[in-house]
Amino acid sequence: MKFSEIFVLYQREIRSALRERSIVVNSFLIPLFMYPILLWVMFTGMTFIRGQEERFDSHVVIHGLPRQHAAFADTLNQIERLQLRIDHGTDSSDIRNVEAVRDGVIDAFLNIDSGSDSSESLVPMRISVAFNESREKSVIARDRILDGIRRYRTGVLTEASHHLGITPVEWNVFTIRSENTATSVQMGRFLLGLLLPLFFIIMVSIGCMHPAVDTTAGERERKTWETLMSSAVSRINIVIAKYWYVATFGCIAGVLNLAAMMFSIRGIMAPLLSGSGSEIVFSISLSSIPLLILGAILLSGFIAAGMMLFASFATTFKEGQSMVTPFYMLTILPAIFIGQPDIDFSLGLAVVPVVNVAMMVREAIMGSYQWDLIGVTVVVSLFFIALSSIIARFILQFEDVIIGSYSGSLISLLKERYFGRGSREPNRRV
Amino acid sequence: MESVTIDVRGLTKEFHEKSRGTIRAVDAIDFTCSAGEIFGLLGANGAGKTTTLRMLSTILEPTAGTALMQGFDIREDPENVRRILGFYSSTTALYPRLTARETIGFFGRINGYSPDKIVSRVEYLIQRFGIVDYADVRVDKLSQGMKQKVSLARTVAHDPPILIFDEPTVGLDVLNALEMQEVIREFREEGKTIIFSTHIMSEAERLCNRIAIIHQGKLLACDTLEALRRETGKRYLEDIFVHYAGHKEDVVWA
Repeated sequence: MKFSEIFVLYQREIRSALRERSIVVNSFLIPLFMYPILLWVMFTGMTFIRGQEERFDSHVVIHGLPRQHAAFADTLNQIERLQLRIDHGTDSSDIRNVEAVRDGVIDAFLNIDSGSDSSESLVPMRISVAFNESREKSVIARDRILDGIRRYRTGVLTEASHHLGITPVEWNVFTIRSENTATSVQMGRFLLGLLLPLFFIIMVSIGCMHPAVDTTAGERERKTWETLMSSAVSRINIVIAKYWYVATFGCIAGVLNLAAMMFSIRGIMAPLLSGSGSEIVFSISLSSIPLLILGAILLSGFIAAGMMLFASFATTFKEGQSMVTPFYMLTILPAIFIGQPDIDFSLGLAVVPVVNVAMMVREAIMGSYQWDLIGVTVVVSLFFIALSSIIARFILQFEDVIIGSYSGSLISLLKERYFGRGSREPNRRV
Repeated sequence: MESVTIDVRGLTKEFHEKSRGTIRAVDAIDFTCSAGEIFGLLGANGAGKTTTLRMLSTILEPTAGTALMQGFDIREDPENVRRILGFYSSTTALYPRLTARETIGFFGRINGYSPDKIVSRVEYLIQRFGIVDYADVRVDKLSQGMKQKVSLARTVAHDPPILIFDEPTVGLDVLNALEMQEVIREFREEGKTIIFSTHIMSEAERLCNRIAIIHQGKLLACDTLEALRRETGKRYLEDIFVHYAGHKEDVVWA
């Protein structure tokens, strides 16, 4: 290994990459802007849609309301944006009303069965609410009705208990008051810890993907691969320089995304938090920054090695992309689990590549440092980086791979060279 | 002629293909080249020219046999072999996002040219190949002719004593092809050892000191044009080629 040689090759890779628009967009601009903007648009959109929903009028028909509960209709009428119509028809009108709900003519239908025509004041009611779950307006109407029923029932019970000389405190038996002891900073870190690792994994993968394909399959497609292979540098130095370049871009993408998200999260979450009355402070501890950078280095180191391993077989950019995509999907899969707040960073998770780094990042953002698990994460990540690099080096010593055989397929190489009928030892050249 | 700089001994290359089985692309060929000589490898498409040159430039490893390039064995010491040779072919393209100046400098450096002298070497090559006006233009913005000049400068960036040209005029127009031939002649005058492969008879006639006829992986003849004429009794190289390679209809020309 000759560092001066590797540095010249690395410098060339970086220089070329910084002049390639698609790489700059994928590795720098998307991590910086895409997810913050996308999230902002998403949350703003959600708030807007919620606002729109609140302005819908709910058209509700009620049938079978006993005269003892005439006040129930008054309660429903007090609900904002609920248009109530009382149907005095016969039982056969029920079917017609249910069909009207299904067809979207009305939003909900309340059918009340009070059993007997009792003259008692507290007549029990069995209320059926028909709604159409495939229509958002109908679901909103149901929620408004249920809210009205709750209010009315509380009123009826309060009045009845009053007549019996029981106070609401007595029939409630006990009262519950919950208190969130998390500080505004803790809440901020909790939310950041749920959101950021997910985007961090995606961004490191995207940051590695383009450079990995460009520096292997792209070189073959542009016919610069053979120019490089006929130069006096050792193949291993070429592989190392390319690997460093891919890992650098993945790492930069990850760090940029973390920074961009941290700076913009307040603006992103503002639409959601505006009505909640919660005061949340989005900040992380300075002491967690080295761990975040370590996480970016470890994750990009592993993903870069894996992607180069697959892309090194491809002869065209397209082939390279299709070879790398399954690995890309595999790396972002753990992001789904990491979004669950009830998952704890354990020894089991610390030995799973990608997941361990994402969990380490999450814990660091939340301000929790479990040094034993962080140590395991570092050792496991370095092991997988070394393993991927050894496999990449092993594969790249075969001249068939160097001259671009096997149509971009690792499976073809294994089948033809090792496991197929008449398989043979490949020619090698370091 | 000066001392032998390339000594090829029983060089053989076999490829394995799933559908066709084992193919012997180059079959135990022997030849030598000397400094200040242009050695022509003449053959039809698929004759084994490119495979031979790829083995000599250590991109491929021989199945059997070897070659000594200024004493360095292509099997034992491939990195030193690559340090003393420049390889040019239609498949050795340039990095599109580097400028001409960066390209020449990069290849000079990675081929081991002295870091202290690289800047002056780059300037010299820019002057020599007439690329002053577009030295700082990115390669992907250059015309085909300009790219060819930069590619030649890239090949000799580290001033190698041995040059390998694999069908260098393929895809070039007449003027650029003639210019290329002129440059190769100049390299010979500088005392470099040049191996030049082509399937264009006139090129081989004009440029080469000695011509080796290669067909179906075998070296059928290797001598000066005059000696080949005497040997075969034929005037034109095309007839000489057919004399060795067999019937005209057996030979597939490009």
